[in-house]
Amino acid sequence: MAASETVICIGCPLGCRVVVSLDKKGNVTRIKGAQCKQGERYVLKELREPVRTLTTTVRTMDDAYPLLPVRTTRPVLKTLMADIMRETVGVRVKPPVRCGKVIIADVAGSGADLAATTDWKG
Amino acid sequence: MAERIDVAVIGAGPAGLAAAIAAREQGAERVVIIKRSERLGGLLPQCIHNGFGLLYFGEDMTGPEYERVFMRRAEKAGVEARLETMVLDLGEGREITAASSRHGYMRFRPGAVVLAMGCRERARGTLGIPGGRPSGVLTAGTCQRYVNIEGYIPGERFVILGSGDIGMIMARRLTLEGARVEAVVEIMPWPGGLIRNEVQCLHDFGIPLLLEHTVTFVHGEGRIAGVTVARVDAERRPVPGTERFVPCDCLLLSAGLIPENELSLKAGVELDPVTGGPVVDENRQTRVPGIFAGGNVVQVHDLVDWVSWEAEAAGRAAARFADKGKMPFAGKVRVSPGENVKYVVPQYISGKEDVTLHLRVTRPGRKAALRLGGKAWKRFRSVRPGEMIIEKVPVARLSQFISGGELRVDCGRGETGEEA
Repeated sequence: MAASETVICIGCPLGCRVVVSLDKKGNVTRIKGAQCKQGERYVLKELREPVRTLTTTVRTMDDAYPLLPVRTTRPVLKTLMADIMRETVGVRVKPPVRCGKVIIADVAGSGADLAATTDWKG
Repeated sequence: MAERIDVAVIGAGPAGLAAAIAAREQGAERVVIIKRSERLGGLLPQCIHNGFGLLYFGEDMTGPEYERVFMRRAEKAGVEARLETMVLDLGEGREITAASSRHGYMRFRPGAVVLAMGCRERARGTLGIPGGRPSGVLTAGTCQRYVNIEGYIPGERFVILGSGDIGMIMARRLTLEGARVEAVVEIMPWPGGLIRNEVQCLHDFGIPLLLEHTVTFVHGEGRIAGVTVARVDAERRPVPGTERFVPCDCLLLSAGLIPENELSLKAGVELDPVTGGPVVDENRQTRVPGIFAGGNVVQVHDLVDWVSWEAEAAGRAAARFADKGKMPFAGKVRVSPGENVKYVVPQYISGKEDVTLHLRVTRPGRKAALRLGGKAWKRFRSVRPGEMIIEKVPVARLSQFISGGELRVDCGRGETGEEA
């Protein structure tokens, strides 16, 4: 059965609600509601492969500085966010840490690393 | 007082750091940041999310990463810091009275001052929500500190009042950490923050955004047990019969930010009643000679990138003032907000320099036209109060828009007039 999906474009303050019609095989048959070509491109990418940069914290061994902020080194599939959060459970980091240091490589098989976003001399 | 300071910067967040670096780069010899806590830097370490620096660095950075770059630049530039020092007064002739446990009570008279105190969140007292006074009602920024710095999640079921960016970002953060966010409740018909936050913080996690709703009662004794949520009418009054009880053990407030200007008032700086920040000219000089201001103390920005840029302008001008001992207030032309314009910063310009206008609209609209002095300047497909408009106007074009010492700025409907 044919279906349609609605995606809100985040490219500009307009926030177009774009309706994408799909045929049985999931091919795009129609795209409606975007006010610009860039928006259409964003919406098609968001539909096919929605990605986000995930930022969170990991535990340290230091009560005075209990958390180290981290990020994925590039945007990851948004469906992987819960898996990444689970992988950070139980991680304990020790100083010194330099901004950019990899805390978990290829986190949750996302292809991105989870890396420190600050320096921590300890 | 013997100590000579060229530029004193009050506040050490993104605005203070950027102003101090710019003042040094402009040639000021001794630039001193005065900061009440024990380290330089502001709230960015608790803003662990990304979206910073896209404009300034062309890079998607997190808060800690953005601050780190400015801290390193400040160190390299030879910016001095007076930490754990509280400014008590800013008086006649820019005299700063401060106190610290290490240096005691001190007074100095710097060549110029930059106000960079940032802003604070509206707390429950200013929102006037009826009900009890249980614990578990806190601002979104306080919660952000608990969760991201101290490692403490202050509840399990949250309601967030106000759809400011920090509130939406905390909705996502709390959900990722395993808490449940029942709803984000917004009194206006449109969200308070950026579109990208509505999509990536709320829609991504299925968190309901209740527009034209508000919290009308806080329930619970000792600890909050829930809130009453009701729909509001066009005058923002609760509609009887629409109330419902939403259980929660934490209510976060994300209902606006207020520039922090107690010190500015002591110094006799005139404030704009709409922005809540000092009235400034294009150099970010206030009405008091030698006192400059930049960043969220002037106007609450959406993006830290603009905080940095605005504060740099203030820092450069402060260095020039300190060098020359004077700089006239560029007050020849009053910039006045017209149709659908809530405010414009700077409030005054000379008309003899390129100027960057920062403005917010009152109402959202489609096909809006920005008019300067009644003449079409730029068309927008859409404008929203939550997204600041920033327009650079070259001096060559300015004169044709100025009449009778006024630059009027309108942002009403475009010529075509239709509402899409």
